[in-house]
Amino acid sequence: MGGFFSSIFSSLFGTREMRILILGLDGAGKTTILYRLQVGEVVTTIPTIGFNVETVTYKNLKFQVWDLGGQTSIRPYWRCYYSNTDAVIYVVDSCDRDRIGISKSELVAMLEEEELRKAILVVFANKQDMEQAMTPSEMANALGLPALKDRKWQIFKTSATKGTGLDEAMEWLVETLKSRQ
Amino acid sequence: MFAKLKKKIAEETAVAQRPGGATRIPRSVSKESVASMGADSGDDFASDGSSSREDLSSQLLRRNEQIRKLEARLSDYAEQVRNLQKIKEKLEIALEKHQDSSMRKFQEQNEAFQANRAKMTEGLALALARKDQEWSEKLDQLEKEKRFLTAQLQEVENQSLNLFQRRDEIDELEGFQQQELSKVKHMLLKKEESLGKMQQKLEAQTRELSQTQEELMIFNQMSSDLRQKLEELQRCYSTLEEQRDHVTAAKAGAESKITALERKEQELQAFIQQLSIDFQKVTAETQEKEKLITHLEEKVVSLERRLEQNLSGEEYVQELLKEKAVAEQNLEDTRQQLLAARTSQAQGISILETQVKELEQSLQASEERLRQSSDLAATQEVQIQQLVAANQESSLAQQQVLALKQQCTEHTCALEAQIVALQQARVADQTAAEHAMSELEREHTALQESRNEYERSLQHHQIELKKLKEEWSQREIMSVAMAQALEEVQKQREEFQQQAAELRATIDEKEQILQEKAKVLLQKEEEILQLKKGHDSALLQMHQLQSELEALRSCRAQEASPAEAQEDLLRLEDPEPCVTVKAAQDPMYQDPLAEGTPNGQVGAIDLGQLQKEKQDLEQQLTEKNKTIKQMQQRMLELRKTLQRELKIKPDSELFEVREKPGPEMPNMAPSVTNNADLTDVREINFKYLKHVVLKFMSCRESEAFHLIKAVSVLLNFSQEEENMLKETLEYKMSWFGSKPAPKGSIRPSISNPRIPWS
Repeated sequence: MGGFFSSIFSSLFGTREMRILILGLDGAGKTTILYRLQVGEVVTTIPTIGFNVETVTYKNLKFQVWDLGGQTSIRPYWRCYYSNTDAVIYVVDSCDRDRIGISKSELVAMLEEEELRKAILVVFANKQDMEQAMTPSEMANALGLPALKDRKWQIFKTSATKGTGLDEAMEWLVETLKSRQ
Repeated sequence: MFAKLKKKIAEETAVAQRPGGATRIPRSVSKESVASMGADSGDDFASDGSSSREDLSSQLLRRNEQIRKLEARLSDYAEQVRNLQKIKEKLEIALEKHQDSSMRKFQEQNEAFQANRAKMTEGLALALARKDQEWSEKLDQLEKEKRFLTAQLQEVENQSLNLFQRRDEIDELEGFQQQELSKVKHMLLKKEESLGKMQQKLEAQTRELSQTQEELMIFNQMSSDLRQKLEELQRCYSTLEEQRDHVTAAKAGAESKITALERKEQELQAFIQQLSIDFQKVTAETQEKEKLITHLEEKVVSLERRLEQNLSGEEYVQELLKEKAVAEQNLEDTRQQLLAARTSQAQGISILETQVKELEQSLQASEERLRQSSDLAATQEVQIQQLVAANQESSLAQQQVLALKQQCTEHTCALEAQIVALQQARVADQTAAEHAMSELEREHTALQESRNEYERSLQHHQIELKKLKEEWSQREIMSVAMAQALEEVQKQREEFQQQAAELRATIDEKEQILQEKAKVLLQKEEEILQLKKGHDSALLQMHQLQSELEALRSCRAQEASPAEAQEDLLRLEDPEPCVTVKAAQDPMYQDPLAEGTPNGQVGAIDLGQLQKEKQDLEQQLTEKNKTIKQMQQRMLELRKTLQRELKIKPDSELFEVREKPGPEMPNMAPSVTNNADLTDVREINFKYLKHVVLKFMSCRESEAFHLIKAVSVLLNFSQEEENMLKETLEYKMSWFGSKPAPKGSIRPSISNPRIPWS
């Protein structure tokens, strides 16, 4: 009965928080992106053993953003957080050509999950400020994004340290989430 | 799976090769070495082919050497065949063991399962009976509650009906009250209007009064004026009477004077008459004298003529002239005397005339004066009469005024009395109205109070009603939930029955499987027989190879390619052990093996096909190797994580494994891993667990809700424990609901005793 009432109340009072996961391999820049989105500053980060969760408000929409640690050993725990997720921000290091295959396999494994069937995918081709960075189209092909079916996705070139590209990506995400509701 | 396969293969190859002096090497390496050996030999053949024409003897020597090598290899092969036989024996033994064990396992499982089933069925039946009882009790209770609630509801409805009636009454009373109020107000208004009218009248009357008083004042003034005038007039009258007396006296005097004067007049008239007589005598005398004068004058005139005729008579003319002169003197004297008489007469007449005139004048004056005085007297008499009339009028007016005054005073008195009466009436009315008003207000307030009370009671009743309705709805919801739960329980019962049926079916299936396995065992025996056959055929092949070798020896000039084909064949035979091992492990690979041996036979005949197949196989092999490598990489990662998980929660893993038996099962068995890596992984896992638990305890409830799964995975919670955690969090998050009982926390630990990992 409590759940029933709480659902009524949540439907009565405002929109619920959007739940967004930031995923990606270790060192892709997920935590930097999270805090860049939340406070707009570049913070010094250490490898995340665990996760960070912050509430980010963007264009009157409240997001509960979960930044999950991307280390190999704790990647299997990602699936514990998949339920009720509205969007996934998948962060890829544009300069890490060696591990893009692993990134792809992780992405594909993630997208096969039933719980994420309705989630929107935003790929951040991060670290675009580096010289040897791959182009977004290159990365989209490398990640096998064009082959995705029944999935709203978009790739954005970003630089968390410079703060470029994040606004466009969030804009797209907000618009897509609004249009989906 | 592959790893295990690999391991087994490696072990078996090690077992196989150790007697032959070969060291334990991985399969891939051994294959490569074989391939390189083949390549070497191929090179050798090529060189042989080129040099055969030059030196046959040396070639023969080489061939001999090669033959020797081949013989050695043949011996190797023989050994291998022996090994294979040994393997086969081992396999048979293993198979028997496996069969035994599987049979035992099956029996055990069957027994355990049946025991479990019996237990479960008993337990379920008991639980169902209990639940049924509980639910029936609950249902009874609910029905009782429902009846009670419906009774309450009826009561409440009655109450509400009463309330509505009361409300209607109140409304009616209010209507009446308002009507009365309006009536009273109307009356009040009317009274006020009449009061206003009265006041207006009063004002008009007071104005009239003042006017009349003013008039009175004016009249008083006028009367005083009139009195003054009267006095004046009386004074005038007295003076006039005096004057009249005077005038009468004067009149008497004048009358006496008039008589005197009349006497005088008579005297005078007598005198005048004497005079006139005198005058007539005088006139007659004058007339006689004038007649004598005229006769004398005629004698004078006759004498003068005689003288004239007597011219010489002069002494007679002188004595006639002396007699004329003496006659003239006598005339003159008489004239003088007449004149003197005449003058004296005229003088007397004039004097008399003047005297008459004077007398007449005086008479006239006196007469005038008399007339005047009589006029005056008449006027004065008129005036007096007028005055008397005015006096009378004034007295009348005074009387009128007095009457008016009296009237006015009477009127004013009456009006004042009226006013007083009216004021009194008004005051009485006002007091009455106020009284009525106060009464009405009191009534109104009392009614309002009663109304408020009624409303309050109504609200109270409504609230009660709402509460009861809510309660009712809650009870209904509860009853619905209970009914649902009951249905669920019934469903569960059905499901359990179904499960029992399924279990029975599975038992049947298992029995079937057992039979199948027995069949499979039979098949395997057949396979073994086939393998024996295959071995025979391999021996045959060997013989063939020997014959081929001989043929090679006979026609070695042309035989470069057949030799290669042989090499290929030899190479082809290499994967066979692996295949056989696979086949031995899994009946799925039985068919390829069964086909493999004839293929080898056919390959001996059709080399081109074989080559192609070989190439295809090699490609497939390389692809498979690649995929295997990829799989191995992923598997390594997975295994690491799995091991970490396994370390933490081995029993759940066991549970999972038991739940889904299949080809993955052997993978789940912990394999050999690096100890250092393991500790590292453990450390990271511990860190992760610590972080998640810390966050779970510190973060918001909405976030914590999403962490339940992670925590339960990390801490290896059972489904019930996870659900309990979820319910508790939901209870914390929501405003209503009851705290869920911590039921699921004990049971799994009893049924599934935790096995510490490692």
